[in-house]
Amino acid sequence: MRLSSSSILPKKLDAPLLIIYLVFVLLGVATIFSSAYSEEFPSLFSMDKEYGKQIVYIGFSLFVGMIILLVDGKFFTFSAYYIYGFIMLLLVAVLFTKGIKGAHSWFKIGPFSLQPSELAKFATSLAFAKLLTTPNRKITDARTRLWALLILAIPGLLITIQPDPGTVLVFVAFVLVMYREGMSGLILLVGLLVGIVGVMVVFTRDSVWFGFMSGPWLISSFAILCCAVSYVSITKFVRKRFRRKYYIQTTAVLAVVILVSFGTLLVHKYVLSDRHRDRFDVILGLIEDNQGVGYNQAQSMGAVATGELFGKGYGNATMSNDEFNQVPEQSTDFIFCSVGEEWGFVGGLVFICLYVIMLIRIVMIAERQRSQFTRIFGYCAASIFFFHFLINIGMVIGVVPVVGIPLPFFSYGGSSIIGFSILIFILLRLDSERMEVFS
Amino acid sequence: MDNVQNRKFVILAIFIFIGVLYIGRLFYIQIISDEHKEWAKTVSQRSLRVLPERGYMFDRNGVVLVGNEKTYDFCIVPQKFSTEDSLGVCKSTGLSIQELRDVLDVETSYDRLMPQKAISGLSISEMETLKQKLVEGKAFSFIESNKRVYPNPMAPHVLGFTGIIQKRHMDADTTGYYREQDFVGRAGVESSYEKELRGLIGFKEILKDNKGQEKALVKYDTAIAGQNITLTLDSRLQEYGEHLMINKIGSIVAIEPKTGEILSMVSAPTYDPNVFSGDGLRKNYDSIFNPNDTLQTSKNKAIYNDTYRPGSIFKLVQALVGMQAGVIDSTTSFVCNKQPMNCHNHPHPSNVKVAIQHSCNPYFYNVYRRLLLRGEAKSHFIDSRFGLTKWEEAVRSFGLGTKLNTDIPGIKTGNVPDTSYYDNEFPLKKPYGRNRWAFSMIYSNSIGEGEIGVAPIQMANLAAIIANRGWYYTPHLVKEIGKNGDKREEYTKKNYTLVDSAYFEPVAYAMEQVVINGTARRARIDSVRVCGKTGTVENKSFNDHSVFIAYAPAEDPQIAIAVYVEYGTWGGTWAAPIASLMIEKYLRDQGYLNTVRSKKSLAKEKRAFESVIQHKHAIIK
Repeated sequence: MRLSSSSILPKKLDAPLLIIYLVFVLLGVATIFSSAYSEEFPSLFSMDKEYGKQIVYIGFSLFVGMIILLVDGKFFTFSAYYIYGFIMLLLVAVLFTKGIKGAHSWFKIGPFSLQPSELAKFATSLAFAKLLTTPNRKITDARTRLWALLILAIPGLLITIQPDPGTVLVFVAFVLVMYREGMSGLILLVGLLVGIVGVMVVFTRDSVWFGFMSGPWLISSFAILCCAVSYVSITKFVRKRFRRKYYIQTTAVLAVVILVSFGTLLVHKYVLSDRHRDRFDVILGLIEDNQGVGYNQAQSMGAVATGELFGKGYGNATMSNDEFNQVPEQSTDFIFCSVGEEWGFVGGLVFICLYVIMLIRIVMIAERQRSQFTRIFGYCAASIFFFHFLINIGMVIGVVPVVGIPLPFFSYGGSSIIGFSILIFILLRLDSERMEVFS
Repeated sequence: MDNVQNRKFVILAIFIFIGVLYIGRLFYIQIISDEHKEWAKTVSQRSLRVLPERGYMFDRNGVVLVGNEKTYDFCIVPQKFSTEDSLGVCKSTGLSIQELRDVLDVETSYDRLMPQKAISGLSISEMETLKQKLVEGKAFSFIESNKRVYPNPMAPHVLGFTGIIQKRHMDADTTGYYREQDFVGRAGVESSYEKELRGLIGFKEILKDNKGQEKALVKYDTAIAGQNITLTLDSRLQEYGEHLMINKIGSIVAIEPKTGEILSMVSAPTYDPNVFSGDGLRKNYDSIFNPNDTLQTSKNKAIYNDTYRPGSIFKLVQALVGMQAGVIDSTTSFVCNKQPMNCHNHPHPSNVKVAIQHSCNPYFYNVYRRLLLRGEAKSHFIDSRFGLTKWEEAVRSFGLGTKLNTDIPGIKTGNVPDTSYYDNEFPLKKPYGRNRWAFSMIYSNSIGEGEIGVAPIQMANLAAIIANRGWYYTPHLVKEIGKNGDKREEYTKKNYTLVDSAYFEPVAYAMEQVVINGTARRARIDSVRVCGKTGTVENKSFNDHSVFIAYAPAEDPQIAIAVYVEYGTWGGTWAAPIASLMIEKYLRDQGYLNTVRSKKSLAKEKRAFESVIQHKHAIIK
């Protein structure tokens, strides 16, 4: 559609996505303003306050976005690996900076700081799309899968070293892209199975059954029993030539269950730090400690809960703002508390709906492409936005353990808003060329 | 699912599913569940009780007797307290490690977030000093409250004191007004007028930040201060009385006969009410309420000591009851043969007036004999029984042997023996039993000895009754409650004795003669007609007790008084002069007496101030 009569700007920008983006960015800065407002700095543009800085970041993002819209889409397909490589270099370089609170995640540039891991999200998306559009590469090939894994593993590893476990998790989101591009759907089912068994193991790890079985043993025994039953059923009801396939599948499921049972236990015991283990246990309701490890979530849920149906009104939060400071990391990871508290259930409903509409719109944009690159990039963007939504909101409302990742466009932070804007604008630019490109 | 094209639907379904799931979760925590709201409330709101200022107490002339002063409680928040600071805190506060541990050791995690009281009742200056000594810490705070102060320290037994509420009071409080550690009136007027003095508690709902700092006010119901109380006491007279009773044991009660208002109530020895102010009750309770204190400093002897025998002052009652019963008239005479009770040398008791004036023992033996043995039955036992019942009924109408319903707790009944008393209670070891006692066994009652017990307030009330010629208002201590100035209704009703007012005239005349020319010549006041009666109460183990009741001026009684000086020997020796000094002081203060004080009066005062009266146990220092 026509957005601008200017000949320089692309003509077919996707208005719904652009509008949603702008709405989110504005609502985001408004939310930060309400939560960080102080009478000493009454101006929206006070550079000593987060809202002032956030406006600068937004301005910069729009400027970068404008440039992206002016760049030919081919540039991104062409230079995907270079951009990826450059960002990876930044990720290596950032490890040599002076750490802040033990994490080497930021370059300090004057009053601002740059977090390259935020930029790694769009860079990896570009590289990922590039890899899968290379001729003769298909996600079903083992080699391609290996390359794809490598593309994800490099930033994953570098960010792990920082360490910033929250951001690492984002790269799990690419599973959705792989699935869309043809990888077996089993991976999702296996993921689900792993999840269910894992949670069951954590729940039952300290319980004793029939006087001698611990939780994992019980689950494994149950799985073996089920397998035995299905072996018998297969022998009885399945024709001989199909039996082999089913035997293998059944055995595989059994193996996964047993592996996950004891694996989870080992991971839970030896790999996770106390802090992270406790976060899981809080979510699963195994420990209740609103003063200690459960504090952040107890506070955030409390803040959201007090919003009730219509909220306390803009600027009237009595928990999630800087004055009362009842919610930690209020303007960054827990920014959604403000939405919940000030706008209530209605506000949360509108926000979630709008966000899901944005996700749907991105998928629609991805699906209407003839260019495979644009489609894959679109799915990458959708997956990344979805994953942030899943973890961040889930964390605030207490269904996911506390993981430090931002809510796109809302959380305070220059790198994240710039990173997410670049993701959106590259997609908008690529989409605007969908009629011209044929590949 | 095998068609890769359709996989977008799976992905969209996942997106929408999570969206719906989260909306459901939001709906649950924001609309349905209260759990998180409750939590939010506990961390972000605090409901504070705002304690009202307790009512002041004034004397009848508006002098402040009980007021309030700001004090500060030193509190520690256990959660924020680091144990490394323990030694420092102990050093600067004077708490022991164990005491500090008790403060910090609280049960719930909520209590750990709340300030716990470590030291209470610091004055402003003490608070400032402690503040400077303490290391800067979020764990410490000072909570402001009020404590009772006594700018004119006197009458501790009347005023009472406040202290931390006791469990039985908490249990009795059905209105839920009190919380543990609240201060309530625990004795005296503080206790009996607790409801009027305490006021109405206010509530303050505040919003706090994560550190518990108050940030905003949600709701504020202001506290309403308690009502001020005007006492009937005259502080000048009270102070003077306490001064006169220094180094003596006993009590003074002065009543305004017209109203029943107690002008002064002294119990000696006394103490400074400020010792119980604020945290003082906890610190000084044992020293004042010492069970081994033979002087019984904590007791309000004026109302509590009802085992005082009235001695000769009881002859007034005997004369009145005798005349009313018709067993004597004002001209009846008996021979003073010093039998069966001894007597001193005095003119022939040719009538009741002379008998009273010279306090003739045999005369009243005979009166009592006639009262008890009225010839209604042949048996002395049955006759005595009949007589005692009538006598006892008449005596009780004087407020003797009955609990005067005055407005401070702890008042005792005294004893006027009735038939059941001799049947079942006396003597303690083996009571006489029904119809096994007669006048001949109990005649020592006739002169106020024997089994009669009277509290000083009842003696003062007797003087008031005679001044009023037969009626009294229940003696009371509170003149006005609050702004509208009402006193309790029960103190506005006259009580009548069973003796007609006409019979009082000869008694009153005799009392005046007692002072002019009888046993109480030391009670004389120039140009004031004082009516009085001495009593000397037998005390086998040590010196006799000195008793005197009086009222003045005879023509328009302004004050009725009873003085009881333990171990003071003759009634005329100590009780009478002290009573006269009190009367003179009051009449001068009231403007009834404008003459220059006589040398005699000054000498009397000097003698009273300086004398130390030995008592059974030791010399009072």
